[in-house]
Amino acid sequence: MKNMADKKNRDERLERLMDRLAESVLGLSDEAILAETSEAGADPQRVAERTRLILRQASKALDNVHKHLSDLGHTVNSNDWYRGHSGYHNTCATCGSFVSFAAATGEMRGEALDGPCPESDRYAYRRREASR
Amino acid sequence: MARLLSFIDTRPQFASPKSALLVENNESLLTFLRTSLKNEGYAVRTAASRDEGLRAYRDFSPFNVVLIDYCVPPSNGARIAHWALPQTSGTALAMEIREMNPSQKMIIAAFDYQNAGQVPRPPELMNIPLLIDSRNFQLPRLLEKIEVERAIEALTPSDLLRLQRSADYRVQSLGRAACGRTGEDLLSEAQLRTLMGAGATREGRHWNKQVDFVWHLTGAMRSISSCWKRQFKDIEPYLISEFPIHDAEGQGHSPLDNVASGDAAADQLLIEKDEEDRVLATFKDDPEATQVLQGWLDGLTKDEIMSEYGLRKQYAAVVRRILKLLGRRNGGSRG
Repeated sequence: MKNMADKKNRDERLERLMDRLAESVLGLSDEAILAETSEAGADPQRVAERTRLILRQASKALDNVHKHLSDLGHTVNSNDWYRGHSGYHNTCATCGSFVSFAAATGEMRGEALDGPCPESDRYAYRRREASR
Repeated sequence: MARLLSFIDTRPQFASPKSALLVENNESLLTFLRTSLKNEGYAVRTAASRDEGLRAYRDFSPFNVVLIDYCVPPSNGARIAHWALPQTSGTALAMEIREMNPSQKMIIAAFDYQNAGQVPRPPELMNIPLLIDSRNFQLPRLLEKIEVERAIEALTPSDLLRLQRSADYRVQSLGRAACGRTGEDLLSEAQLRTLMGAGATREGRHWNKQVDFVWHLTGAMRSISSCWKRQFKDIEPYLISEFPIHDAEGQGHSPLDNVASGDAAADQLLIEKDEEDRVLATFKDDPEATQVLQGWLDGLTKDEIMSEYGLRKQYAAVVRRILKLLGRRNGGSRG
Protein backbone atom coordinates (compact mmCIF):
# COMPACT_ATOMS: atom_id res chain seq x y z
CA MET A 1 0.00 0.00 0.00
CA LYS A 2 2.87 2.29 0.84
CA ASN A 3 4.32 1.76 -2.62
CA MET A 4 1.06 2.66 -4.34
CA ALA A 5 0.95 5.82 -2.25
CA ASP A 6 4.56 6.55 -3.24
CA LYS A 7 3.67 6.15 -6.88
CA LYS A 8 0.71 8.49 -6.54
CA ASN A 9 2.87 10.97 -4.72
CA ARG A 10 5.59 10.86 -7.41
CA ASP A 11 2.94 11.27 -10.10
CA GLU A 12 1.47 14.27 -8.40
CA ARG A 13 4.84 15.94 -7.74
CA LEU A 14 5.89 15.68 -11.37
CA GLU A 15 2.47 16.80 -12.55
CA ARG A 16 2.61 19.85 -10.27
CA LEU A 17 6.05 20.76 -11.56
CA MET A 18 5.08 20.52 -15.24
CA ASP A 19 1.83 22.38 -14.59
CA ARG A 20 3.75 25.25 -13.04
CA LEU A 21 6.16 25.28 -15.95
CA ALA A 22 3.24 25.30 -18.41
CA GLU A 23 1.73 28.29 -16.58
CA SER A 24 5.01 30.13 -16.12
CA VAL A 25 5.96 29.98 -19.77
CA LEU A 26 2.92 32.11 -20.56
CA GLY A 27 4.39 34.92 -18.49
CA LEU A 28 7.60 35.13 -20.53
CA SER A 29 8.10 38.33 -22.49
CA ASP A 30 8.21 38.27 -26.29
CA GLU A 31 11.93 38.92 -26.28
CA ALA A 32 12.59 36.20 -23.72
CA ILE A 33 10.65 33.45 -25.51
CA LEU A 34 12.17 34.32 -28.89
CA ALA A 35 15.68 34.43 -27.43
CA GLU A 36 15.23 31.16 -25.57
CA THR A 37 14.05 29.37 -28.67
CA SER A 38 17.06 30.62 -30.59
CA GLU A 39 19.40 29.66 -27.77
CA ALA A 40 17.91 26.17 -27.78
CA GLY A 41 19.17 25.89 -31.35
CA ALA A 42 15.79 26.24 -33.09
CA ASP A 43 14.58 28.87 -35.53
CA PRO A 44 11.79 30.77 -33.66
CA GLN A 45 10.04 31.80 -36.86
CA ARG A 46 9.99 28.26 -38.14
CA VAL A 47 8.77 26.76 -34.86
CA ALA A 48 6.08 29.44 -34.60
CA GLU A 49 4.83 28.85 -38.13
CA ARG A 50 4.79 25.13 -37.56
CA THR A 51 2.55 25.72 -34.52
CA ARG A 52 0.27 27.96 -36.58
CA LEU A 53 0.06 25.22 -39.18
CA ILE A 54 -1.04 22.71 -36.54
CA LEU A 55 -3.89 25.03 -35.55
CA ARG A 56 -4.87 25.59 -39.17
CA GLN A 57 -4.78 21.87 -39.91
CA ALA A 58 -7.17 21.13 -37.07
CA SER A 59 -9.67 23.58 -38.62
CA LYS A 60 -9.14 22.03 -42.01
CA ALA A 61 -9.73 18.51 -40.69
CA LEU A 62 -13.12 19.53 -39.31
CA ASP A 63 -14.00 21.44 -42.49
CA ASN A 64 -13.09 18.46 -44.63
CA VAL A 65 -15.31 16.07 -42.77
CA HIS A 66 -18.26 18.51 -42.85
CA LYS A 67 -17.79 19.17 -46.54
CA HIS A 68 -17.45 15.50 -47.40
CA LEU A 69 -20.65 14.64 -45.53
CA SER A 70 -22.46 17.60 -47.01
CA ASP A 71 -21.44 16.57 -50.54
CA LEU A 72 -23.03 13.19 -49.86
CA GLY A 73 -26.24 14.82 -48.68
CA HIS A 74 -25.82 13.90 -45.01
CA THR A 75 -26.89 16.28 -42.30
CA VAL A 76 -24.63 16.46 -39.26
CA ASN A 77 -25.05 18.77 -36.36
CA SER A 78 -21.70 20.25 -35.48
CA ASN A 79 -22.79 20.40 -31.85
CA ASP A 80 -23.22 16.65 -31.72
CA TRP A 81 -19.62 15.54 -32.17
CA TYR A 82 -18.50 13.48 -29.21
CA ARG A 83 -15.11 12.11 -28.28
CA GLY A 84 -14.73 8.37 -28.57
CA HIS A 85 -11.72 6.14 -28.23
CA SER A 86 -10.73 6.43 -31.89
CA GLY A 87 -11.62 10.08 -32.49
CA TYR A 88 -14.75 12.19 -32.83
CA HIS A 89 -18.04 10.55 -33.67
CA ASN A 90 -21.33 11.79 -35.10
CA THR A 91 -24.38 10.49 -36.95
CA CYS A 92 -26.39 11.81 -39.89
CA ALA A 93 -29.55 13.42 -38.54
CA THR A 94 -31.48 12.19 -41.59
CA CYS A 95 -30.42 8.58 -42.11
CA GLY A 96 -28.63 7.87 -38.82
CA SER A 97 -25.46 6.56 -40.41
CA PHE A 98 -22.28 6.83 -38.43
CA VAL A 99 -19.10 8.79 -39.10
CA SER A 100 -15.90 9.36 -37.19
CA PHE A 101 -12.66 11.20 -37.76
CA ALA A 102 -9.30 11.20 -36.05
CA ALA A 103 -8.23 14.58 -34.69
CA ALA A 104 -4.53 13.94 -35.25
CA THR A 105 -4.65 12.73 -38.85
CA GLY A 106 -8.03 13.94 -40.10
CA GLU A 107 -8.74 10.39 -41.27
CA MET A 108 -12.50 9.77 -41.73
CA ARG A 109 -14.35 6.50 -41.24
CA GLY A 110 -17.90 5.22 -41.08
CA GLU A 111 -20.85 4.07 -43.13
CA ALA A 112 -21.90 7.66 -43.82
CA LEU A 113 -18.93 7.89 -46.17
CA ASP A 114 -19.99 4.84 -48.17
CA GLY A 115 -22.41 6.79 -50.34
CA PRO A 116 -25.09 9.46 -50.60
CA CYS A 117 -27.58 9.82 -47.78
CA PRO A 118 -30.44 7.43 -48.71
CA GLU A 119 -32.99 9.73 -47.07
CA SER A 120 -31.88 12.70 -49.06
CA ASP A 121 -33.61 12.20 -52.45
CA ARG A 122 -34.65 15.77 -52.66
CA TYR A 123 -31.08 16.88 -52.36
CA ALA A 124 -30.00 14.59 -55.18
CA TYR A 125 -32.82 15.80 -57.45
CA ARG A 126 -31.98 19.44 -56.95
CA ARG A 127 -28.35 18.86 -57.63
CA ARG A 128 -29.14 17.07 -60.86
CA GLU A 129 -31.47 19.82 -62.01
CA ALA A 130 -29.05 22.52 -61.15
CA SER A 131 -26.23 21.07 -63.18
CA ARG A 132 -28.22 21.11 -66.38
CA MET B 1 -29.92 20.96 -49.69
CA ALA B 2 -27.41 22.81 -51.74
CA ARG B 3 -28.06 26.39 -52.63
CA LEU B 4 -26.02 28.05 -55.25
CA LEU B 5 -25.24 31.70 -55.03
CA SER B 6 -24.41 33.17 -58.35
CA PHE B 7 -21.73 35.74 -58.62
CA ILE B 8 -22.32 38.43 -61.14
CA ASP B 9 -19.28 40.50 -61.77
CA THR B 10 -20.03 44.05 -62.70
CA ARG B 11 -16.47 45.21 -62.33
CA PRO B 12 -16.53 47.47 -65.41
CA GLN B 13 -18.90 49.74 -63.49
CA PHE B 14 -16.93 50.06 -60.28
CA ALA B 15 -18.65 52.15 -57.71
CA SER B 16 -16.83 53.74 -54.82
CA PRO B 17 -16.78 52.56 -52.08
CA LYS B 18 -17.19 48.89 -52.96
CA SER B 19 -20.82 47.86 -52.96
CA ALA B 20 -22.64 44.57 -53.05
CA LEU B 21 -26.21 43.48 -53.63
CA LEU B 22 -27.18 40.35 -51.76
CA VAL B 23 -30.45 38.58 -52.64
CA GLU B 24 -31.17 35.88 -50.08
CA ASN B 25 -34.34 34.93 -48.21
CA ASN B 26 -32.75 32.77 -45.51
CA GLU B 27 -32.07 35.01 -42.54
CA SER B 28 -29.08 33.00 -41.28
CA LEU B 29 -27.39 32.87 -44.67
CA LEU B 30 -28.12 36.52 -45.17
CA THR B 31 -26.49 37.42 -41.86
CA PHE B 32 -23.45 35.26 -42.61
CA LEU B 33 -22.92 36.61 -46.10
CA ARG B 34 -23.59 40.20 -45.11
CA THR B 35 -21.01 39.85 -42.31
CA SER B 36 -18.50 38.26 -44.68
CA LEU B 37 -18.94 41.00 -47.28
CA LYS B 38 -18.85 43.80 -44.71
CA ASN B 39 -15.67 42.34 -43.26
CA GLU B 40 -14.17 42.68 -46.70
CA GLY B 41 -15.09 46.35 -46.83
CA TYR B 42 -18.26 46.18 -48.90
CA ALA B 43 -21.32 48.33 -48.38
CA VAL B 44 -24.06 45.72 -48.58
CA ARG B 45 -27.63 46.18 -49.79
CA THR B 46 -29.92 43.21 -49.22
CA ALA B 47 -33.13 41.86 -50.70
CA ALA B 48 -35.17 38.87 -49.60
CA SER B 49 -36.92 38.02 -52.88
CA ARG B 50 -36.49 38.08 -56.63
CA ASP B 51 -38.71 41.17 -57.06
CA GLU B 52 -37.07 43.07 -54.25
CA GLY B 53 -33.67 42.18 -55.69
CA LEU B 54 -34.66 43.41 -59.11
CA ARG B 55 -35.92 46.70 -57.67
CA ALA B 56 -32.71 47.15 -55.68
CA TYR B 57 -30.63 46.49 -58.78
CA ARG B 58 -32.61 48.99 -60.84
CA ASP B 59 -32.54 51.65 -58.15
CA PHE B 60 -29.01 51.34 -56.82
CA SER B 61 -26.78 49.80 -59.46
CA PRO B 62 -23.98 49.69 -60.27
CA PHE B 63 -22.74 47.19 -57.69
CA ASN B 64 -19.27 45.73 -57.60
CA VAL B 65 -20.70 42.34 -56.73
CA VAL B 66 -24.16 40.84 -56.99
CA LEU B 67 -24.91 37.66 -55.08
CA ILE B 68 -28.15 35.86 -55.83
CA ASP B 69 -29.48 32.88 -53.96
CA TYR B 70 -30.22 30.12 -56.43
CA CYS B 71 -33.42 29.34 -54.48
CA VAL B 72 -34.69 32.82 -53.84
CA PRO B 73 -38.51 33.01 -53.93
CA PRO B 74 -40.24 35.09 -56.61
CA SER B 75 -41.71 37.66 -54.24
CA ASN B 76 -41.83 38.49 -50.58
CA GLY B 77 -44.04 36.23 -48.51
CA ALA B 78 -44.92 33.95 -51.41
CA ARG B 79 -45.60 30.41 -50.31
CA ILE B 80 -44.19 28.12 -52.95
CA ALA B 81 -44.81 24.46 -52.36
CA HIS B 82 -42.52 23.16 -55.04
CA TRP B 83 -38.82 23.78 -54.96
CA ALA B 84 -38.44 24.29 -58.70
CA LEU B 85 -40.24 27.62 -58.84
CA PRO B 86 -38.02 29.52 -56.42
CA GLN B 87 -35.05 27.98 -58.15
CA THR B 88 -36.24 29.24 -61.51
CA SER B 89 -36.88 32.56 -59.86
CA GLY B 90 -33.23 32.88 -58.83
CA THR B 91 -32.14 32.03 -62.34
CA ALA B 92 -34.64 34.46 -63.81
CA LEU B 93 -33.38 37.29 -61.67
CA ALA B 94 -29.79 36.59 -62.70
CA MET B 95 -30.82 36.56 -66.37
CA GLU B 96 -32.72 39.82 -66.04
CA ILE B 97 -29.74 41.49 -64.45
CA ARG B 98 -27.54 40.17 -67.20
CA GLU B 99 -29.86 41.67 -69.77
CA MET B 100 -29.61 45.00 -68.02
CA ASN B 101 -25.88 44.69 -67.83
CA PRO B 102 -24.47 42.64 -70.73
CA SER B 103 -20.91 43.44 -69.69
CA GLN B 104 -20.86 40.68 -67.12
CA LYS B 105 -19.85 37.33 -68.58
CA MET B 106 -19.89 34.59 -66.01
CA ILE B 107 -23.52 34.11 -65.08
CA ILE B 108 -23.92 30.87 -66.99
CA ALA B 109 -20.87 29.36 -65.36
CA ALA B 110 -22.12 30.51 -61.99
CA PHE B 111 -25.24 28.42 -62.39
CA ASP B 112 -23.31 25.29 -63.09
CA TYR B 113 -22.54 23.45 -59.86
CA GLN B 114 -19.55 21.84 -61.47
CA ASN B 115 -17.99 25.18 -62.12
CA ALA B 116 -19.01 26.98 -58.97
CA GLY B 117 -15.39 27.10 -57.82
CA GLN B 118 -14.26 28.67 -61.09
CA VAL B 119 -16.58 31.65 -61.10
CA PRO B 120 -14.41 34.74 -61.38
CA ARG B 121 -14.69 37.04 -58.41
CA PRO B 122 -12.73 39.73 -56.62
CA PRO B 123 -9.71 38.23 -54.82
CA GLU B 124 -10.87 39.37 -51.39
CA LEU B 125 -14.03 37.28 -51.78
CA MET B 126 -12.34 34.08 -52.84
CA ASN B 127 -13.05 32.50 -49.46
CA ILE B 128 -16.78 33.15 -49.41
CA PRO B 129 -18.51 29.90 -50.31
CA LEU B 130 -20.68 30.06 -53.43
CA LEU B 131 -22.28 26.74 -52.79
CA ILE B 132 -23.86 26.57 -49.38
CA ASP B 133 -25.39 23.49 -47.88
CA SER B 134 -28.31 25.07 -46.08
CA ARG B 135 -29.33 21.91 -44.22
CA ASN B 136 -25.91 21.72 -42.63
CA PHE B 137 -25.52 25.46 -42.43
CA GLN B 138 -25.12 26.64 -38.87
CA LEU B 139 -24.55 30.33 -38.61
CA PRO B 140 -23.03 30.48 -35.11
CA ARG B 141 -20.54 27.78 -36.04
CA LEU B 142 -19.52 29.59 -39.20
CA LEU B 143 -19.17 32.95 -37.51
CA GLU B 144 -17.18 31.32 -34.71
CA LYS B 145 -14.97 29.64 -37.28
CA ILE B 146 -14.27 32.94 -39.02
CA GLU B 147 -13.34 34.56 -35.72
CA VAL B 148 -11.18 31.63 -34.65
CA GLU B 149 -9.34 31.56 -37.96
CA ARG B 150 -8.71 35.28 -37.73
CA ALA B 151 -7.40 34.84 -34.21
CA ILE B 152 -4.97 32.15 -35.42
CA GLU B 153 -3.63 34.41 -38.14
CA ALA B 154 -3.25 37.24 -35.63
CA LEU B 155 -1.09 35.19 -33.24
CA THR B 156 2.44 36.55 -33.07
CA PRO B 157 5.48 34.25 -33.25
CA SER B 158 6.01 34.68 -29.50
CA ASP B 159 2.35 33.79 -28.79
CA LEU B 160 2.79 30.64 -30.84
CA LEU B 161 6.05 29.71 -29.12
CA ARG B 162 4.48 30.19 -25.69
CA LEU B 163 1.54 28.01 -26.70
CA GLN B 164 3.81 25.28 -28.00
CA ARG B 165 6.02 25.28 -24.91
CA SER B 166 3.01 25.28 -22.63
CA ALA B 167 1.51 22.36 -24.55
CA ASP B 168 4.76 20.41 -24.31
CA TYR B 169 4.93 20.86 -20.52
CA ARG B 170 1.29 19.88 -20.14
CA VAL B 171 1.90 16.63 -22.00
CA GLN B 172 5.02 15.97 -19.97
CA SER B 173 2.95 16.39 -16.83
CA LEU B 174 0.80 13.46 -17.96
CA GLY B 175 3.61 10.93 -17.74
CA ARG B 176 2.30 7.54 -18.82
CA ALA B 177 -1.18 8.98 -19.29
CA ALA B 178 0.06 10.85 -22.35
CA CYS B 179 -0.09 7.50 -24.17
CA GLY B 180 2.33 8.71 -26.82
CA ARG B 181 0.58 12.02 -27.41
CA THR B 182 2.67 15.12 -28.01
CA GLY B 183 2.23 18.82 -27.32
CA GLU B 184 1.16 19.21 -30.93
CA ASP B 185 -1.64 16.69 -30.41
CA LEU B 186 -2.81 18.66 -27.41
CA LEU B 187 -2.80 21.94 -29.33
CA SER B 188 -4.64 20.37 -32.22
CA GLU B 189 -7.27 18.95 -29.87
CA ALA B 190 -7.73 22.32 -28.15
CA GLN B 191 -8.26 23.97 -31.52
CA LEU B 192 -10.76 21.34 -32.65
CA ARG B 193 -12.79 21.65 -29.49
CA THR B 194 -12.82 25.41 -29.88
CA LEU B 195 -14.35 25.02 -33.33
CA MET B 196 -16.89 22.57 -31.99
CA GLY B 197 -17.68 24.90 -29.13
CA ALA B 198 -19.94 27.37 -30.87
CA GLY B 199 -23.04 25.65 -29.57
CA ALA B 200 -23.91 23.49 -26.63
CA THR B 201 -21.64 20.69 -27.76
CA ARG B 202 -20.59 18.06 -25.25
CA GLU B 203 -16.94 18.18 -26.20
CA GLY B 204 -16.57 21.77 -27.29
CA ARG B 205 -14.83 24.63 -25.54
CA HIS B 206 -16.56 27.91 -26.10
CA TRP B 207 -14.19 30.82 -26.67
CA ASN B 208 -15.38 33.68 -24.54
CA LYS B 209 -14.15 36.65 -26.57
CA GLN B 210 -13.43 38.61 -23.40
CA VAL B 211 -10.25 36.57 -22.96
CA ASP B 212 -7.58 36.53 -25.63
CA PHE B 213 -7.14 33.50 -27.81
CA VAL B 214 -3.87 32.40 -26.20
CA TRP B 215 -5.50 32.28 -22.77
CA HIS B 216 -8.47 30.45 -24.21
CA LEU B 217 -6.28 27.78 -25.82
CA THR B 218 -4.16 27.32 -22.71
CA GLY B 219 -7.33 26.90 -20.64
CA ALA B 220 -8.61 24.37 -23.15
CA MET B 221 -5.30 22.48 -23.03
CA ARG B 222 -5.39 22.40 -19.22
CA SER B 223 -8.87 20.97 -19.28
CA ILE B 224 -8.14 18.43 -22.04
CA SER B 225 -4.95 17.18 -20.40
CA SER B 226 -6.80 16.72 -17.08
CA CYS B 227 -9.46 14.79 -18.96
CA TRP B 228 -6.83 12.56 -20.59
CA LYS B 229 -5.34 11.92 -17.16
CA ARG B 230 -8.72 10.98 -15.68
CA GLN B 231 -9.53 8.70 -18.60
CA PHE B 232 -6.17 6.99 -18.26
CA LYS B 233 -6.70 6.42 -14.56
CA ASP B 234 -10.00 4.71 -15.35
CA ILE B 235 -8.38 2.22 -17.70
CA GLU B 236 -4.82 2.21 -16.45
CA PRO B 237 -3.37 -1.30 -16.59
CA TYR B 238 -1.88 -1.94 -13.17
CA LEU B 239 1.27 -3.94 -12.91
CA ILE B 240 0.90 -7.00 -10.74
CA SER B 241 3.57 -5.51 -8.52
CA GLU B 242 1.19 -2.66 -7.69
CA PHE B 243 -1.33 -4.98 -6.00
CA PRO B 244 -0.52 -5.77 -2.40
CA ILE B 245 -1.27 -9.23 -1.07
CA HIS B 246 -2.35 -9.58 2.55
CA ASP B 247 -1.17 -12.43 4.74
CA ALA B 248 -3.14 -14.08 7.51
CA GLU B 249 -2.15 -11.30 9.94
CA GLY B 250 -3.37 -8.65 7.54
CA GLN B 251 0.15 -7.49 6.62
CA GLY B 252 0.46 -6.20 3.06
CA HIS B 253 3.11 -7.75 0.83
CA SER B 254 3.97 -7.18 -2.77
CA PRO B 255 3.87 -10.27 -5.01
CA LEU B 256 7.40 -9.31 -5.95
CA ASP B 257 8.73 -9.28 -2.39
CA ASN B 258 10.65 -12.42 -3.14
CA VAL B 259 12.22 -11.22 -6.36
CA ALA B 260 15.08 -8.81 -7.00
CA SER B 261 13.23 -5.51 -6.63
CA GLY B 262 11.10 -5.09 -3.56
CA ASP B 263 9.43 -1.94 -4.87
CA ALA B 264 5.99 -2.01 -6.36
CA ALA B 265 5.90 -0.64 -9.93
CA ALA B 266 9.58 -0.04 -9.50
CA ASP B 267 10.09 0.76 -13.15
CA GLN B 268 7.48 3.53 -13.17
CA LEU B 269 8.70 4.97 -9.90
CA LEU B 270 12.18 5.06 -11.35
CA ILE B 271 11.07 6.84 -14.52
CA GLU B 272 9.30 9.54 -12.51
CA LYS B 273 12.08 9.79 -9.96
CA ASP B 274 14.55 10.04 -12.82
CA GLU B 275 12.66 12.92 -14.43
CA GLU B 276 12.43 14.79 -11.14
CA ASP B 277 16.13 14.19 -10.46
CA ARG B 278 17.05 15.25 -13.98
CA VAL B 279 15.22 18.54 -13.60
CA LEU B 280 16.77 19.20 -10.18
CA ALA B 281 20.23 18.18 -11.39
CA THR B 282 20.02 20.77 -14.17
CA PHE B 283 19.99 23.41 -11.44
CA LYS B 284 22.43 21.85 -8.98
CA ASP B 285 24.59 25.00 -9.08
CA ASP B 286 21.64 27.36 -8.67
CA PRO B 287 20.27 27.08 -5.12
CA GLU B 288 17.49 29.60 -5.72
CA ALA B 289 16.18 27.70 -8.74
CA THR B 290 16.35 24.48 -6.75
CA GLN B 291 14.28 26.07 -3.99
CA VAL B 292 11.61 27.24 -6.45
CA LEU B 293 11.51 23.83 -8.10
CA GLN B 294 11.23 22.10 -4.73
CA GLY B 295 8.42 24.47 -3.86
CA TRP B 296 6.59 23.60 -7.07
CA LEU B 297 7.13 19.90 -6.52
CA ASP B 298 5.73 20.24 -3.00
CA GLY B 299 2.72 22.15 -4.28
CA LEU B 300 3.57 25.51 -2.71
CA THR B 301 2.08 28.65 -4.17
CA LYS B 302 4.19 31.48 -5.52
CA ASP B 303 3.60 33.52 -2.33
CA GLU B 304 4.47 30.57 -0.13
CA ILE B 305 7.71 29.97 -2.03
CA MET B 306 8.66 33.64 -1.87
CA SER B 307 8.13 33.86 1.87
CA GLU B 308 9.50 30.38 2.68
CA TYR B 309 12.80 30.94 0.88
CA GLY B 310 13.00 34.74 1.05
CA LEU B 311 12.84 35.07 -2.73
CA ARG B 312 10.39 37.91 -2.91
CA LYS B 313 12.50 40.04 -5.23
CA GLN B 314 14.24 37.29 -7.13
CA TYR B 315 11.27 35.01 -7.84
CA ALA B 316 10.48 36.25 -11.38
CA ALA B 317 14.13 36.17 -12.42
CA VAL B 318 14.56 32.67 -10.99
CA VAL B 319 11.52 31.42 -12.94
CA ARG B 320 12.97 32.89 -16.13
CA ARG B 321 16.26 31.08 -15.46
CA ILE B 322 14.38 27.81 -14.95
CA LEU B 323 12.39 28.18 -18.15
CA LYS B 324 15.44 29.21 -20.10
CA LEU B 325 17.52 26.21 -19.09
CA LEU B 326 14.69 23.70 -19.40
CA GLY B 327 13.72 25.23 -22.74
CA ARG B 328 17.27 24.71 -23.94
CA ARG B 329 17.15 21.14 -22.69
CA ASN B 330 13.77 20.33 -24.30
CA GLY B 331 13.56 22.67 -27.25
CA GLY B 332 16.66 21.79 -29.20
CA SER B 333 14.90 19.09 -31.16
CA ARG B 334 12.34 21.51 -32.68
CA GLY B 335 12.54 23.62 -35.74
